[in-house]
Amino acid sequence: MRGRGGGDLHTLVGAYAMDAVTQADRARFEQHLAGCDPCRAEVRGLREATARLAAAAQVRPRPELREQTMLAASLIRQLPPEGDAETPAGVRWRARRRVVLSWAAGGLAVGLAAAAIAAGVAMSGAEHRLDMAQRRTHAIAAVLGAPDATMLTAKVTTGGSATVVMSHRDRALVFTAAGLPALAPGQSYELWLMVPGGAVSEGMLPAAKGGMRGPLVISGLAPGDRVGLTVEPAGGAARPTTPEILVLSP
Amino acid sequence: VDVSASGPQRGAPDPAGAGQPGGDLAGLLGLVARGDPAAFRDVYDRAAGQVLGVARRVVRDPAQSEEVMQEVLLEVWRTAARFDPAAGSAAAWIMTLAHRRAVDRVRSEHSAAQRELRAATVPVDYDDVTEAVETSLEHERVRRCLGSLTDLQREAVTLAYYQGYTYREVAGLLGVAVGTVKTRMRDGLIRLRDCLGVG
Repeated sequence: MRGRGGGDLHTLVGAYAMDAVTQADRARFEQHLAGCDPCRAEVRGLREATARLAAAAQVRPRPELREQTMLAASLIRQLPPEGDAETPAGVRWRARRRVVLSWAAGGLAVGLAAAAIAAGVAMSGAEHRLDMAQRRTHAIAAVLGAPDATMLTAKVTTGGSATVVMSHRDRALVFTAAGLPALAPGQSYELWLMVPGGAVSEGMLPAAKGGMRGPLVISGLAPGDRVGLTVEPAGGAARPTTPEILVLSP
Repeated sequence: VDVSASGPQRGAPDPAGAGQPGGDLAGLLGLVARGDPAAFRDVYDRAAGQVLGVARRVVRDPAQSEEVMQEVLLEVWRTAARFDPAAGSAAAWIMTLAHRRAVDRVRSEHSAAQRELRAATVPVDYDDVTEAVETSLEHERVRRCLGSLTDLQREAVTLAYYQGYTYREVAGLLGVAVGTVKTRMRDGLIRLRDCLGVG
């Protein structure tokens, strides 16, 4: 408001409430908001109005999106309340345990990860004693439990969708797919890491369990790498022989 | 309209997709924050249609809009504990997330030239019903209140909110000074807020 150091800046409040501002405008305006209680109150009120604009635009989502979203949620670790310094361990433990239970309920064999995550087993030190299956479940658990884990979902052109949970910190991602069409005998879905100069096979997608395939872990990601999916002979191909039916840029 | 259900218990869930914002949505978010999948399902049923509606208006592409909708709902799941009822209603919190995500998506996807082309080919129409919109009381009310704005206020608000343009872009599209657009956006939203009796 005028006289509070906001001056003309405050007229931006309407544009700000509708995200009709650039990143720079937004940052500048939020600085202004931080020192102005009535301005924040005005933003609150205007946002109630824009929420009604949203309500008026309502459409009906395709029914299958509902269960897909529920499934994806079960893979994602929730944030504790801000400033909740007293109970983070407990919250995290519950959150992780739930992730694990949901994976198990989805027919995904991560029982080992369940034990490892719930107990908070350290990744280093013990790792060299683990066999490959254990390593894999550990890697999955690490990505799902990473503080910066984010999720991305995308359609597969031939049907179904892919969900990726990715940790930039760990330079790794967990890939799952849901609702992919069944393939002819002798064919499989193959996952690729597409790096500059070629594609590296990340393995075949396992058979569907409860409509879901995966999880597969891809590690050692570099900026710019993409993830691709193709249909290949069941034994796998050394490089993609058919067009990608999915390309993700995590 | 925003009558909270008593206590932390979940109220009887609305029929899927019922366009009733507020209500006990805040209470549901509290349960979602504690990892309650049933509460998250209820939140989805209440909010997904509106989130998708906003995404469709802003992003246009149906497949990308669905991705935005899912990302927003998952963000709600992930950050429900950070929802602060003192900072506004649960519906406003979710729709703010939704609109920002949609706008971010369209601004990263479209070059300026494409956006201008889009602007040239998409008529300014705040009531363009492109698909099975739930014809709700809410829809009627908002339409009526938008009708009470001046033409310039309404165009500024709908171009910004439903099509994701910045105030500078809106000024260019409407051939009006930037300062004028800023004040019309503010005045338009204030009038809309007062007409709807919210805030």
